[in-house]
Amino acid sequence: MKRLIPIVAVALLAIAVVFGSGIIPQQNGLRGNLHIVSGSENKALEPIIAEWGNENGVDVKVTYKGSVDISRILGEGAEGEFDAVWPANSLWIELGDTQKVVKHRESILRSPVVLGLRRPIAERLGWVGRDDITVQMIQEAASADKFRLSMTSATQSNSGASAYFGFLYALGDNPDVLTLDDLGDEALQDKVRDLLAQVDRSSGSSGWLKDSLVANPRAFDAMFNYEALVIEANQALVASGQDPLYVIYPANGLSVADSPLGYVNKGNAETEEAFLNLQAHLLSDPVQDQLVALGRRAGLIGLAADNADTAVWNPEWGVDLNRAIAPIPTPDAAVIGEALRLYQSELRKPSLTVWVLDVSGSMEGEPLDQLKAAMGLLLDAEAAAVNLLQPSSRDINILLAFNHEHLPPETYKGAEPAALRQALNTVQGLQAGGGTDLYAALWYALEALEPYHADGTLFDYLPAIVAMTDGASDTINRDLLLRTLETNGFGSDVPIHAIAFGAADETQLKELNEATIGRQFSAGSDLAGALRKAKGYN
Amino acid sequence: MNRSIIGLIILLVVAGLAAGISFLDLSSLTRQVERRDPVEVSIFYGGEKSALLKNPQVAEIIENRYKITLNASKAGSVEMVTTLDSTGRHCLWPSNMVAVELARLSGKPVKSDETIFNSPIVFYAWSDVADALTSAGVVAKRNDGFLTADVQALGKLIEDGARWKEDLGLNIYGPFKVFSTHPAKSNSGNIWSGLLATVLNGGDVPTEESLPTLLPRIEDYFAAMGHMEASSGDIFENFLKQGMGARPIIVGYENQLVEFLNENANFADLIKSKIRVIYPEPTVFASHPLISLSPVCDRLKEALIDPDLQAIAWAQHGFRTGLIGVENDPSEIKAAALPDTVSLVVPMPAAGVMQRVIAAVR
Repeated sequence: MKRLIPIVAVALLAIAVVFGSGIIPQQNGLRGNLHIVSGSENKALEPIIAEWGNENGVDVKVTYKGSVDISRILGEGAEGEFDAVWPANSLWIELGDTQKVVKHRESILRSPVVLGLRRPIAERLGWVGRDDITVQMIQEAASADKFRLSMTSATQSNSGASAYFGFLYALGDNPDVLTLDDLGDEALQDKVRDLLAQVDRSSGSSGWLKDSLVANPRAFDAMFNYEALVIEANQALVASGQDPLYVIYPANGLSVADSPLGYVNKGNAETEEAFLNLQAHLLSDPVQDQLVALGRRAGLIGLAADNADTAVWNPEWGVDLNRAIAPIPTPDAAVIGEALRLYQSELRKPSLTVWVLDVSGSMEGEPLDQLKAAMGLLLDAEAAAVNLLQPSSRDINILLAFNHEHLPPETYKGAEPAALRQALNTVQGLQAGGGTDLYAALWYALEALEPYHADGTLFDYLPAIVAMTDGASDTINRDLLLRTLETNGFGSDVPIHAIAFGAADETQLKELNEATIGRQFSAGSDLAGALRKAKGYN
Repeated sequence: MNRSIIGLIILLVVAGLAAGISFLDLSSLTRQVERRDPVEVSIFYGGEKSALLKNPQVAEIIENRYKITLNASKAGSVEMVTTLDSTGRHCLWPSNMVAVELARLSGKPVKSDETIFNSPIVFYAWSDVADALTSAGVVAKRNDGFLTADVQALGKLIEDGARWKEDLGLNIYGPFKVFSTHPAKSNSGNIWSGLLATVLNGGDVPTEESLPTLLPRIEDYFAAMGHMEASSGDIFENFLKQGMGARPIIVGYENQLVEFLNENANFADLIKSKIRVIYPEPTVFASHPLISLSPVCDRLKEALIDPDLQAIAWAQHGFRTGLIGVENDPSEIKAAALPDTVSLVVPMPAAGVMQRVIAAVR
């Protein structure tokens, strides 16, 4: 052993010489990994973080999740896989961090939640250049079909939750602070339910809502989202020759995201040092200026900024950095919890979901068990409530199992535990076998929606088809399906989401997602998460 | 009992202690040498002193001059003297005088306590808010240029249900209120609830007898706050970063601005143009008593009252000295302008009264 010491010493000396002489770039003494879980609204900032990682020799990984999911992850304390959390609002840390594992929390940027409305529509409504547009006016115009409205799910995403709390304040006649008594007021519940019924497209994530609007401008007229993401959307829309959105700061019910980045204390000094270094970098003057150039409100003092670039903070888009922002007060934790429960089980627009379940031979064993577990999360009342996935009394779930053939669809209405249990029993009894014809099954799923289309009630719901599948499908019915999607009058307005198990053919699924503005999720290790997302997107 | 008599008693006690200590020291010269042996001191401290303890100059004095290895853990000022297990800790250093009494009530082995620093509770307000409150006759400029708030008039605004927009002409949501941290979770909110209780009690420090009529009013005030931050540092940061609409006026410590400007000198002009410091009259001191649970704590006490350390605490962190007979000179603070004395100070209500106020707010 003793003989090793000189060798080690020489080796260390050699390393010191190599580093000291500049042969290998010196790296501030930082090392290691940093895994951040962030809201999807921060995606545009990833290059800044990656560059810092490269320069400092830290392997930074960012996983994007909704703020509500981040809050839920924090409930697990320091046991989770993440070293840092970056939700859209401090609130989600304060609600989720019950074990007090988060430290060094700093707000990196701010962005108000606004309505982005296609500019020609804003002009027609006479809303350009005004500062007195209320939530009530937005509701009236949307109900009169002046525009189609989209927002994220309040129980999955902070921008949706912020807009929803804004509605509760504005339609509740501006209470000093929202209370449990206010939430129990049926007149208020009716008004909020009416407003949420105007939502044509929902989403589990602010970033994806913005992406789908940019990719499918004809399917959207307006979205509630962060000012920063409306700016990002406008940059993309203008680049592709489309009309930009006009930013409406509601005169009532406005709130501001504060985007706090906090460290999850697991007692690792190396990770903590890397975190603090990254945080200081993000808060440094040059990076804060960079954030302003990316449409974020940054800096240390207040929300206003002088000399901002008008190509980004474009007055033509209604963006106004110096406008006084008077946000609503955040209610206390018990009120927030009850408001979210109320949203999920009573007030949101009801969903009409066809669950297309693959029971072909290749699903035998683990994939089928996973599928059953996933459906259990939705259909078991208790498990669903824990994950804010519970059905409302107005939801409709249709189960359609298939292999190369399909079983007759079974329809379950409402949230009665007995009916849900029956549905769950049906799922638990499914057995794997046979080939895979996903296209035919989806065709039958569309057929199951046809009666709602025929009587004009389809869009009283947020309709969606969610396929859970693992295998490449027989393509014999592909053309038939694609043709039907185009011609049946509603196919392209009903998103087809897919939850992929194992070796599913992603190109096939992608084609369908794109034809219908649906989204693909991997069942992977976090099935509940995938499901929550799929569910949040409808 | 009038002030001069109290002063005389304090003087006698101090003189007596000094005589006692010097007598002990003289009794053994070898002991002087032993006292400089390295010692490890383990403490809980209130988060308000994080920056001070991280200051390399302060650490240098503690480690090298006094040979102390400091094992310091941050904890809530109320928590550390009540529910938190303090076995193995030699001192507790909360940010609240009531904590000393609470520590005794919770059965901690309190040997002695010494007030190391004071920092008065102040309001931080956006300049438009300060102007509106000046027009409303609540805030006034003193002869030396510092702003003061008549807390009785402020209490009346609150009790009358004055509104930001309608009564004060500012684009801010809802009724006029002073934002604070949660009184049950954080020290500045806790002290503010004590001061507010005094204000709502007509300016007299409330006693057990005044509580039945007072508690429902305090409860209503804090219930209308909605969500409150759990830390004084967080609310100060949110106040600055989120702008006037979100937090027009907050309760903070006088020294917070000094520390902020020392860290962010390039923001001094912006702060000067947009932010106002308002001294409530009367105010309450956030005191920082060092509670000794073991003789080991004495070495740390000695270090903390070292004139050099006290000078750094004032010049760089804005902590006024808690030591009797020592005065702070505002010109030593480069980052911010502070008044040389804060004279209109009321004590916090007694621990028993505060416990009931906190229970009502919780």
